[in-house]
Amino acid sequence: MNRRSQDAPADTRRRRFIVAVSRATMAAGLLGGYGVFGSVLGRFLYPAGDSGTVWQFVTPTDRLAVGDSLIYTTPAGAEVHVTRRDDTGATGDFTALSNVCPHLGCQVHWQPQHNRYFCPCHNGVFDREGRGVSGPPEGMVLSGYPIEVRGGMVFIKVEATPLVVPERRS
Amino acid sequence: MTALSRWIDGRIPIEPGALRELTNEPVPYHLKRWWFALGGTPAYLFVVQVVTGVLLAFYYQPHPSTAYESVRYITEDATFGWYLRSVHKWAATLMIAAVVLHQLRVYFTGAYRKPRELNWMVGMLLLICTLMLGFTGYSLVFEQLSYWGATVSANIADTIPVVGGFLKRMLLAGEAYNERTLARFFVLHAAVLPGFLVALVAVHIALVRIQGVTELRFRDEPPQEEGKFPFIPDHIYTELIIGLVLMVLLSALATLAPATMGPLADPMTTPEEIKPEWFFYVTFRWLKLMGGTAAVLSMGLIVFVMFAWPFIDAWFRRRTPFREASVWIGVAATLLIIGMTVWEALVPH
Repeated sequence: MNRRSQDAPADTRRRRFIVAVSRATMAAGLLGGYGVFGSVLGRFLYPAGDSGTVWQFVTPTDRLAVGDSLIYTTPAGAEVHVTRRDDTGATGDFTALSNVCPHLGCQVHWQPQHNRYFCPCHNGVFDREGRGVSGPPEGMVLSGYPIEVRGGMVFIKVEATPLVVPERRS
Repeated sequence: MTALSRWIDGRIPIEPGALRELTNEPVPYHLKRWWFALGGTPAYLFVVQVVTGVLLAFYYQPHPSTAYESVRYITEDATFGWYLRSVHKWAATLMIAAVVLHQLRVYFTGAYRKPRELNWMVGMLLLICTLMLGFTGYSLVFEQLSYWGATVSANIADTIPVVGGFLKRMLLAGEAYNERTLARFFVLHAAVLPGFLVALVAVHIALVRIQGVTELRFRDEPPQEEGKFPFIPDHIYTELIIGLVLMVLLSALATLAPATMGPLADPMTTPEEIKPEWFFYVTFRWLKLMGGTAAVLSMGLIVFVMFAWPFIDAWFRRRTPFREASVWIGVAATLLIIGMTVWEALVPH
């Protein structure tokens, strides 16, 4: 075996190594580059922030007794049941639930004597957490709003702007 | 043969060898030179335009009362909206530049001559399609330039004899710019013109494949066997690298010079200075120099001559002693186009 033929495999190995490295670099470049671009596309499609929502003052905590509920109308026109269930003074005392029944869109009422929300359209009953417990909406929930108590005042986070639909011309 | 490949073969009975033969076009050696990849560049940029354009359409609202605000939302509020809008704008700019450079390359290498006359004409249609995409694109922002650009264009169309009035009404969806006009521009920009473009590109590439790439020989090339290299993977690698370079370039341009917004369109106030995008400067200067119907008709004649150039050139070469006249005519036309573009860019009116 002479020197030339001993060198040849080493040369081929080096060549193969360089080809493999350059291919891997290319693949990494393509994956990395278009991967970043793809993530930008995804981020663009995902709704940006929650700039459409605002924290709104509802009531001082001491104006709402345990077991009572008030109806708050948001700037966008939705109605929200703000209900007090405890008097520790913490955020957990309050719930903010939509008054729209998830069954067919009727308006639910707070019944303090039964500690429940009631939908008169089809006798739907929700517990005080807004979970449907009997009637057609059983298993459904009233949609909730983020709520917070700050310095003895109750705030909820709601949509600020309504979807404007032009009135139909008669 | 594995079960999977048998399953696929039962449904798509294409022989791998035949598919490879069909797609793996032998490429002349001169395509190793970067400036011969100018045909693939606009194709790549078009893909970028489709991707970013589809995304922008998720937020864009083609109505005069909301269009400007929706573009502002994309630019300022949507996550990475500024980036995608700027990439869309810069890719459009580069696409037009690349199309023009591609056409110049084809012209000066005589690649439009027999048997490739038809593909030159397809290329002309692609150029017009690209320019119309540019025009309808900047009409959508609904800034002053969008509104007055569209109004001026409609008035120019109006001066064409016989069909002018019809064209104007078709463009504006009425006698003047109205609340249904933007929807028209949007549908043209986002559906009709891209559809045409895809179909034309398919024909363009099919004709290149049928006729083969024009073969040129440079003195410094090694005397290879037949002077060809395989399309796959060699030329694919070239295109991949061009694609990555373009993405870096687009991102840099989008970051350093992001797309901005002019003042909101105001039908009551004609702007002091009204100018189209740079790629229409030459047309605009020509229209100002000639004025009225003469300008429009002469533009039409110029476009017709460009379409028919392979046949005019063939006539020159057959019937006159000026066999290389096309080079000098091309140089003169290029200088004229550059000159008029610079002129329009420098003067306020």
